[in-house]
Order: sequence, then C-alpha cells, then structure tokens
Amino acid sequence: MELQWPLIVFTTLVAWSAGLFGTQALLAAGGHAKGSQTPAWVASAALLAAGGVAVFFHLEHWERIFNGFGHLTSGITQELIAVVALAAVAVAYLVAMRKSDDGASVPRWLCWVAVAMCAALVAVMAHSYTMAARPAWDSALWILYALGNSCALGPCTMAVIMELKGDNVKPVALPALIGAAIAAATAVAFAAFLQASGGSFAEVGYYFDPTRPTAGMAAAAALVAAQAPLLWGGAVAVGGALPLAAALVGGRSGSWKAWGALAVACALVGAVCLRVVFYELGLSVFMFY
Amino acid sequence: MTQYAIITDLNKCVGCLACSVACKSANSVPVGSFWNKVLRIGPNPRYEGAVLPDVEMYFLPVGCQHCADPECVRVCPTGASRKLEDGTVQIDKSKCIGCQFCAMACPYNVRYLNEEEGVVEKCTLCEQKVAQGELPQCVAQCGARARFFGDLDAGYDSFVAPGRVLDYEATYEQVHDARVPMLQAVQEFADDQVVVLPNVGNNPSFAYILRDMTWKGGE
Repeated sequence: MELQWPLIVFTTLVAWSAGLFGTQALLAAGGHAKGSQTPAWVASAALLAAGGVAVFFHLEHWERIFNGFGHLTSGITQELIAVVALAAVAVAYLVAMRKSDDGASVPRWLCWVAVAMCAALVAVMAHSYTMAARPAWDSALWILYALGNSCALGPCTMAVIMELKGDNVKPVALPALIGAAIAAATAVAFAAFLQASGGSFAEVGYYFDPTRPTAGMAAAAALVAAQAPLLWGGAVAVGGALPLAAALVGGRSGSWKAWGALAVACALVGAVCLRVVFYELGLSVFMFY
Repeated sequence: MTQYAIITDLNKCVGCLACSVACKSANSVPVGSFWNKVLRIGPNPRYEGAVLPDVEMYFLPVGCQHCADPECVRVCPTGASRKLEDGTVQIDKSKCIGCQFCAMACPYNVRYLNEEEGVVEKCTLCEQKVAQGELPQCVAQCGARARFFGDLDAGYDSFVAPGRVLDYEATYEQVHDARVPMLQAVQEFADDQVVVLPNVGNNPSFAYILRDMTWKGGE
C-alpha cells in the first residue's frame, strides 16, 4: 500500500519518546542520572507531542475526532487511551520529581509504573497494525520490533543527554548495550518474517484486471525481493547492527556524545527504512486490485 | 436475523462489467474508485502441464462482502463503520475521520478514500434502493443474470434476480417488480460448488457458485 508518512513518523517518534521516558525512569529507580531527569522528560514530552501532531496529518477529518471517538475494539482508540494514561503517569512523574528535595528523585514504584506504561504504549501502538487482512503485518514480531526501537533509541538518547548534563554515564552503558542488542535481534526476526511473507497471499494463477488494462499482475514474491536491500541494508545493518556497535564502543569508551548520537541516528534511519518496507509489503491477502 | 448478500453464478458471468458501470452510475462512485470491480481469473491450465485448449477461465466480481464478522467495523475508532440489522456493513460518513484503518483491515481492497469528501466509501448494497423494495443496481443490471440478491439466513430460496415479463400489455411496475428465483435461473449446484473469497476470520457473506472449474484464491 501507499506509504503513510504521518504514521511512519508517529510510530517512530512514539517508540523514541517512550524509550526515552522509560530509560530515565529506569535510571531514576536506581538513583542515577539526576541531572538529566528534567531535560530527558522535556525531550520525551516533545517527541510525543511531535508524534501527535504528525498523526493528525494522517486524518482527513481530525475535527471529528471526538465525535463518537471511543470504539474500544479499535486500535486507534486503544492507542489514544494508552497515550493519555502515559501522559498522566508522566505528569505525576514530573510533579514527584519537582517536589523531591533534590528536584530529581521519584518514588521507585512510580518509576516502574512509568517503565511499564512506556512498554504498554509501544505495544498497543504496534498491535493496532496487526491485521489478518495484511499478512506482512500480522505478527507479534512487529510488536517486539517496535519495542526494540524503544530499547535502542531510549537508552542511547539518554546517554547523550547524561553526558551533556555532566551525569555519570556508567549506569546507562548496560541498558544501552542490552537495548541495542534487543533492537538488533528483533530487527533480524521481523525482517525474516517480512521476507517470508511473500508466500502468505492468495494465488489465482493468471489474471487480468479489465479496469486497469495496462497494470501488470501483482507478484508478492517479486515485491518482497525488491524490498530486500532496504530491509536488510537499511533496517537490519544500519538500524540494528550499527547502533549495537556504537553502543558497545560508547560503553567501553564512556564517550556517548558521538557514539550515542550515532546510535540514535542509525536507529532512526533503520526504523524509518523498516516502516517503509512495512507499508510497501502491506498488501491485502487478496491483493489483485 | 437477516444477512443480505449477493450470490454470483460464475459459470454465467460473461465479464461484461455492467455491474461495475451500473454501480458507478447508481452511486456516483468517484473516478478511480470501484465499489464493484471485476477480475478475469485465468486462463489457467485445467491440470498440471495442460496447454491450450485445456484451460479454464472465469470472471470474478468483487465488492464489499458485507462480512459476518467485519474487521473494518472492529478497527473503526468512531463507530462510523457499523453492521446493521439487515447484515450489511455501512459507513456513517458524518462520523468518519478518514483514518483509513478500515481500508487497511479489509482483506479485499474494496474500501476507497473519497478524496473530495475525506471519508472512506464502499459498496452499500444499494441500501437506498433495497429500502424501496428494489434490487441492488449491480444485480438489476447484470447482463447475464448471474447475480442474485437475498437473505443468506433465509436460504437460497430467497435469492432473486430481475424477472422476464413477456406480456406485451405489462405495465412499467410489473416489469420493474418482476423477479426470478435463483434456484430457477441457474443450473444445479452442489454445496461444495458454493465458495467464498479468502476468509481470514471476517467470514464474508457474499458467495460464488463455480462448477466444473477450479476455484482460485484459497478459502
């Protein structure tokens, strides 16, 4: 199907925002990164807001969004509920932070609630795209992949902020490395699923569409093959392997400004590449029109 | 319960596209959108390795299948897409926000974004005509009398097509209201010759009759 850029931007920014907020909460639970808490919170909120603005560009009639909005089986409704719930947790987190003696401490239970809500938002967002009608989308691996995006983008961004703010960056090295490894593994797994999706569509042998006499026959296998460079080169090599290597070097050298930024940039490129492939291969199960 | 649907006898369909054109005309379907479209399936070999003339071909009219468990309704955030008591799936355009998730959730690509109005549209099973006792336009105009409209829950007996009136003195209303039952208008068929488009849990309501040929496109 056609590339839906607002949704590509939205899903990427939400994964980034949730990853960053989740990481700062994770570090706060261990009493780390106190100097970076406020800037990380602001950055996370800004990313979520930017994602929210992006998604409105997808809607033809955004002014009707509250005109009956609330059909609970809809993935979009579930996403909105998750965003509102996360926003409530984020506000409570900010209030707790500002009220603490050092201006950067948050009760441990609230930190873990924040981490859980971040994971829930990303999972709910990704789940809204799993549809039996689109074989290439209908997999839990896509949900894991989106969570993997957060695992790489969040800790690496946090590492950059921590170094810029002069915090001790040692505590973020392990989350960044593990996160990048999860992101790489989920990228490989979902890329393999997408690569194999060519055999999931209905076949009718030879056919012809009289309303589009010059259109060629749809060939899922050829389409999947055509996306392979973007999938394996962009999403897996650039988006999975490079952030992992950058996180490894960043952790060893303790220098996150460059390596963290490189990891984030590569993870973003990979996330966009995979989402482009996601839409290109998002054919309906009966894909002949 | 009622489940309005259309059954198409693919052995009778000649691929004239009258259903497509009639639908466009009756429902003002925008250029580029097809609430009803016809695909030519084949020529495919009758058996492995077969060559001309051992090939077979049929035409497949496809529109919204007014599924029993429509995914498009499940994913709609505002309830604009809904299933009515007559079994049809309809869109309340005033509620549609144009998110197009219903179009993504449809296994058959039969939902279209009306770019002028910014809402998604599809086959309504000509609810404006059915409400007045008329037939959906694609059934009324079918050049081969291959399409039949009825209530699946009431059985095949309820499916009808436009009837023939040979009486020279017949009035417009008599001709207009004439119906022929499907079971009189088609050759005999077995239950395993009644097939549906690929079902991924949506349970399509529309059905196709295909005899002596291999149904393509899965179950």
